[in-house]
Amino acid sequence: MHGSPDRSRLWIRVFAAPIVLAVSTLTGLLAALLWETAGQYVAWVTVGAPVLVIAWVWVRRRSDKIGRFSRARAGK
Amino acid sequence: MKARTVRLWSLVHTWTSLISTVFLLLLCLTGLPLIFHHEIDELLGYAPQPEAHAGAARATSQAVADAALAADPGHVLQYISWDKDEPGIVTAFTNSAVDGLPDNTTVRAFDAVSTKLLGPVGVGPMLIMLKLHTDMFAGQPGKLFLGGMGLLFAVAIVSGVVLYWPFTRRLRFATIRDSAARRVRWLDWHNLIGVVTVAWALVVGLTGVVNTWAELMLNQWKATELASMVAPYAGKPPPVHLASLDDVVARARQAAPGMEVAFIAFPGTPFTSSHHFAAFMRGDTALTARLLKPVLLDGETGQVADARALPLYLQALLISQPLHFGDYGGMPLKVIWAALDLLTIVVIGSGLYLWLARRRKRAPGRTNAFARRAPVPS
Repeated sequence: MHGSPDRSRLWIRVFAAPIVLAVSTLTGLLAALLWETAGQYVAWVTVGAPVLVIAWVWVRRRSDKIGRFSRARAGK
Repeated sequence: MKARTVRLWSLVHTWTSLISTVFLLLLCLTGLPLIFHHEIDELLGYAPQPEAHAGAARATSQAVADAALAADPGHVLQYISWDKDEPGIVTAFTNSAVDGLPDNTTVRAFDAVSTKLLGPVGVGPMLIMLKLHTDMFAGQPGKLFLGGMGLLFAVAIVSGVVLYWPFTRRLRFATIRDSAARRVRWLDWHNLIGVVTVAWALVVGLTGVVNTWAELMLNQWKATELASMVAPYAGKPPPVHLASLDDVVARARQAAPGMEVAFIAFPGTPFTSSHHFAAFMRGDTALTARLLKPVLLDGETGQVADARALPLYLQALLISQPLHFGDYGGMPLKVIWAALDLLTIVVIGSGLYLWLARRRKRAPGRTNAFARRAPVPS
């Protein structure tokens, strides 16, 4: 990091989502340990968030592929 | 980040990952069924089931101890434990001697009301998985070796996070370049899955490492805290007649108000001295149920000798266990744990594929596509 505003913005753009997911995961891991039933619900959402992100990317990619395929067929 | 710095981190990431790959795959693959070991044991008929006794009073601790000794004639009791999540079952550990080898211990479940023998505990295919996962059937050296692999895994994760910046700074988060070569697609998946699971992987990896040091920590506790607790009894012979277990339990409860007995170690076992019972007490909240407090009781009279909180390193060990096993948030958390485990397998597998693909591309006379898409130094 050299401290320029552009570079800081770029750094935030690259790492914002991973940091949010990491904090969310750690919160969930501790919540279930400290707050019993309520903490369990928090953990299911927050620890599960990375899995949901991957599932969302995979589904989005599949639907894009299907969309491209359908458009290509319609164009023929 | 300068090109030289990227190359150095890349070297660290490549070699820490490669060295630990096979063992991490073993840990992930054996860890997957272990997440559901209760359910699998039940399905395969290896989980003891308590009898139905609506509202009936529980048998005394001494009655359970007598039943355990009757079930294993000629052997001695090492431990009796009460699981908070299985109130209908009491588990007894017997061996040929109080300091017998752990592998020779017989673990049996008894009905908490009738003291009827319900069956052996910790047998079946899950035991093989557990041994593979914890020490690869190599005992303490195997455990420490896997702990070393866990540390390499942690270094690989940290170096992977450092490399995430130069490899993705020109891409939007969660970009998978579908139009690019297969190798680039897998690089994108590797980076994405790796970075979103980084916190979970670090926690599970490092708590696994801590668990491999359990025996060393216990030895340290015995050599320091336990030694000072039993110092006033130095030179006293092992008890000839053991105190009634009911007295031991009652006095341990008095010494730790508001706590319940998690397990009792009999005199001479690794968790206590040759002259004392050790009652390990637990609280009733999610956290305090895991932070045990030992109460030492005279083996002959059952009198309380001392009670102290465990040192920080043992408390850290006890807290690290649920964070490694993922068994403290119900079935949904177990399913999420399994999904994250599978994603880690994908990260490890794709990392290996990327390394092999890069080696192939580096062969003489071939286009070095990896060099073409190498991160731009800044």
